[in-house]
Amino acid sequence: MNRPALILAASLAVFAGAAAKAHHSFAVYFDGEKIITLKGTVKSFRFTNPHGLIVLEVADDEGKRVEWRSETNAPVVLMRRGWRRDSVKPGETITIDGWPARDGKPYIRLRSAKKADGKMIGTTLFDETDG
Amino acid sequence: MMRSRAILAAALLLAMPLAANAQDETARPNLEGFWNLPFAQTPAVPEDLKAKLPPDTAVLDDTGAYEFPRGEFGGLKLKPETLAKAEKWDPSQEMALTRVCHPPAVVYAMQGPFPFEIHQTGELIVIRYEYFDQTRLVFMDGRGHPPEDAPHSAMGHSIGHWDGDELVVDTTHISASTITNNGLDHSENIRMVERYRLGEDGQKLYAIQWFEDPDTLDNAGARFLEWNKQEGQYIYPYECDPSFALEYQEIDGKD
Repeated sequence: MNRPALILAASLAVFAGAAAKAHHSFAVYFDGEKIITLKGTVKSFRFTNPHGLIVLEVADDEGKRVEWRSETNAPVVLMRRGWRRDSVKPGETITIDGWPARDGKPYIRLRSAKKADGKMIGTTLFDETDG
Repeated sequence: MMRSRAILAAALLLAMPLAANAQDETARPNLEGFWNLPFAQTPAVPEDLKAKLPPDTAVLDDTGAYEFPRGEFGGLKLKPETLAKAEKWDPSQEMALTRVCHPPAVVYAMQGPFPFEIHQTGELIVIRYEYFDQTRLVFMDGRGHPPEDAPHSAMGHSIGHWDGDELVVDTTHISASTITNNGLDHSENIRMVERYRLGEDGQKLYAIQWFEDPDTLDNAGARFLEWNKQEGQYIYPYECDPSFALEYQEIDGKD
């Protein structure tokens, strides 16, 4: 199992507020009080409902590659926030943040994603105000 | 006793005055359009509309993006067997290949943070929900509900009428499904009554959603709802892809 402590460039912050409704229960699956940040190489990006998904390869402190999955809001929501099917491309380096899975698995719910130059993908963060 | 009390409560909410049916069709409010939830706001439903809820109704504060955590049901009184089932609920099953594209029924689905379109004629109102591509027909032609043993569905069978400037919709034949997305399920005998009212400028739509299910609950539930009209928008295809579940299952394989 991948542990948060092993993640390179990871940060932990207290996030005040509830988070977004999903087809499955956000409150049950994710810890709405924490945000973690991950920087890595995109392996794949799927853009289908009920959730988009970014598979990100992240190097841990020992240089070992760890595969994380980041579930996004439904692409119908992403589309209205400026995302497109090719907004994230395999092979590129991105930085993402979001709410970690409560069960400790390498799985998070995406709050934001940035390109290597620091530019945010889409027009706004996904947070407690989103579907 | 419980059943007769519920029927009386529903009758109070339905309140169908003769004058409403005689109303000129052209004078009826036009609810047509694309409606979206104003995120992160408490629904500003008019107080006189809220006051139409029957007594012994728990108003759930989970409208829109917010969800109750496990074990919280917003004042609904669960029957012992309902509570026992909720306590045994396994949320991982929601991510199974067979479940991930299974649409929740209208009681939960209509209050989520996804938009919908209303298309309105004198005899039929069509509500198209973006969430799971669900379509709902509200028959305005005076028909009743089908027999009790008729097929049930996620959207149920809806009949409507105008009560002054309010659209009143009575829905039965709803498949058993979630109420709060955290293990609390209603039975297929649930009944839902909604009242919709346009805001003064026609750019807001308010509603109260009331439901009773004596098979699973000892009181009734309700939600207050508010949506904004967005001109030029339309709902997108949802076309749920269940293979998303395989991605979730893949995580365990990387441990």
